[in-house]
Amino acid sequence: MEGRFPNRTLPYALVLPSIAIVAIFLILPSLQALYLSFFEVSPFGNRRIFVGLGNFREILTSDSYRSSLRLSLVFAVAVVVLSMSVSLGMAVLASKPLRGIGFYRTLLLWPYALSPAVAGIVWALLFEPSSGLMTYLLRLTTGLSPNWMMNANYALLVIILAAAWKMLGFNIVFFLAGLQNIPDEMVEAAQMDGASRRQTFWRVIFPILSPMTFFLFIMNSLYAFFEVFGLIDVMTQGGPGGGTEVLIYKLYLDGFISIRWGYASAQSIVLFILVSALTLLQFRYAGRRVFYA
Amino acid sequence: MSGRWKLLGAVLVTVLMAAGPAAAQVKIKLWHAMGGARYEAITKDIAEGFNKSHPNYVIEPLFSGSYAETVTKGIAAIRAGDPPHILQVYEVGTQTMLDSGAFIPVTEVVKPGEIKWEDYFAPIMNYYTVGGKLSSMPFNSSTAILYYNKDAFKKAGLDPEKPPATYKDVEEMGRKILASGAARGVITFGWPAWMFEQAFAYHNQLYANNENGRKGRATQILFNGPFGVEVLTRWKKWADEKLLMYGGREYAPNKAFLSGEVAMLLQSTSQVTTIEKAAKFPVGTGFLPHLEGKPQGKSVIGGASLWVLKGKGRSPQELDAIAKFFKYIGQPEQSAKWHQDTGYFPATHASEKLLRDEGWFKKNPNHETAFKQIQAGPDTPATRGVLLGNFVQIRNLTDSALEKTFSGKLSPQATLDEATQEVNKVLEEYNRLQK
Repeated sequence: MEGRFPNRTLPYALVLPSIAIVAIFLILPSLQALYLSFFEVSPFGNRRIFVGLGNFREILTSDSYRSSLRLSLVFAVAVVVLSMSVSLGMAVLASKPLRGIGFYRTLLLWPYALSPAVAGIVWALLFEPSSGLMTYLLRLTTGLSPNWMMNANYALLVIILAAAWKMLGFNIVFFLAGLQNIPDEMVEAAQMDGASRRQTFWRVIFPILSPMTFFLFIMNSLYAFFEVFGLIDVMTQGGPGGGTEVLIYKLYLDGFISIRWGYASAQSIVLFILVSALTLLQFRYAGRRVFYA
Repeated sequence: MSGRWKLLGAVLVTVLMAAGPAAAQVKIKLWHAMGGARYEAITKDIAEGFNKSHPNYVIEPLFSGSYAETVTKGIAAIRAGDPPHILQVYEVGTQTMLDSGAFIPVTEVVKPGEIKWEDYFAPIMNYYTVGGKLSSMPFNSSTAILYYNKDAFKKAGLDPEKPPATYKDVEEMGRKILASGAARGVITFGWPAWMFEQAFAYHNQLYANNENGRKGRATQILFNGPFGVEVLTRWKKWADEKLLMYGGREYAPNKAFLSGEVAMLLQSTSQVTTIEKAAKFPVGTGFLPHLEGKPQGKSVIGGASLWVLKGKGRSPQELDAIAKFFKYIGQPEQSAKWHQDTGYFPATHASEKLLRDEGWFKKNPNHETAFKQIQAGPDTPATRGVLLGNFVQIRNLTDSALEKTFSGKLSPQATLDEATQEVNKVLEEYNRLQK
């Protein structure tokens, strides 16, 4: 039996600081948001009108919220699929014994080390419609000169690429760790049994990697929903014409630019419910397919 | 023993004497949104200049991000009960500030006669005077003008001294520019929604009801009427013909103009100095182009004013420091220097005279364009500028609507109808909260 604490109060005292921090910075503001979501609040907070579920009704019936939700789903799926598949491929390559592999591995990590703002500026400069390098190359090779300040689909594509790229480093590190933990004997045994390289990968390596893949799936989904604010703020500010206004950015615009506290609070509650549901579903269904060796 | 006490006493007295004048210094916090060349001007020339000439008072300027961010931070600080003494609020935030109850009117901070208000330019005073009362201190006032690339005009076989005067000119000259390959785009806009507002004032059309929100709070936006649709249809035509190369909001399109990709730019006059410095080609300026067959109005004032915030109460010394500061920025030398550094209007007739006597406008004609434009045209409710509650959000909705049109998602009429509905809802919610 593990050692027990000599008295009953000490363990509580030890976790108290963590609980206090969670309560002050997470639970209390959440409760406040829940409370505010039933009101219309004036910008200076000096007047509030109780509207019951009015804000929620507005969310559910508003076209702009619906299109933002649709956009967020497309965005999240695209980012997760793109980022995870590319990084798995790159991790497999980076796990091969190559000359100077340490150097490549370090380089692969770089995108993750950049702050979202810096990454956003780099991508914004690359695709700048008048003087960007990528714009120039596109014009040279295809004759097209897409303007992402005017074309919402193109803007979304650029944001997806940037967001997926930003997550590469993180994913590669975890995939690489997973790959390196696979015992050589298992791969050798598969080869002895006459499995092709493709079969070895999909039937042996991929299933053993599945806990890591599942973990990354959750992390990437959360990233695509919550952590892309910086990129979008630096690159498109939700434009053009709301073309990149994903839920988290819409929340910021309504709350901090339009200063509609009540409406924004209601949005944060809805977002919270959405993401909880999504995570639960993932654990329920995707979690079953995970093979814990 | 007693010697030691004496020594300690002497040290104490010295310390107290040294601390004395420092403690008497009154510190005034000023939150502003002046980036680029304007940052240097407000910190070095204005704040440091004032601090040197007023040893007991210290203005502490703090850059707080974009205009919208500065307003948001100001509001958060007011709610938290510890706002800065002075907050710079762009013209869009005027109605929201008026309804805040969080400010001290400038006419109560400044004693009667201390600042000669009658010397201030009428369009500036007209914008910030609401219901006969001036609430905030006019500071950086601008308007929109046309900038153009003289080299591109020459290459296209156009007269580089003749900017387009009408929408038709833009189209005809534009086609020549495109055909000659002098630039890849013809025109781009800074602050698109503001340019839309400018188009209304410039042709003497009301943007919102209740005389643009100046007779009472505006309850309805009027931009989906025939005039607004005609303007936007024209802009959309430009976009379809690849004349208009949309470059994003605020100052983002400057890049396309400065790189020579686009030959003309509609932008705030606050960028004259910045653009002239950064451009590798001779820059010309002209009035905003006129839409044929529409009445003559006047371009409208933009920029920002300074609001004195109450906080938990301000001491007489603090109020005196603020009054002295406001007086200082209105002095002819300061106002003229601010104009030279940035392109914002010199605020008073005295500062204009100073600049003329120096021969400044002769040497820098681009700095005079806006000045001529703002004085040509009638003073009507439509040209005094729109006041709207939660204008920040309304600007955002309007920008979004314009972008939707340019990208071809919706027709001009459909976009403006949709935006009108959204904006009217914002106004309704705002007004409901103010009763």
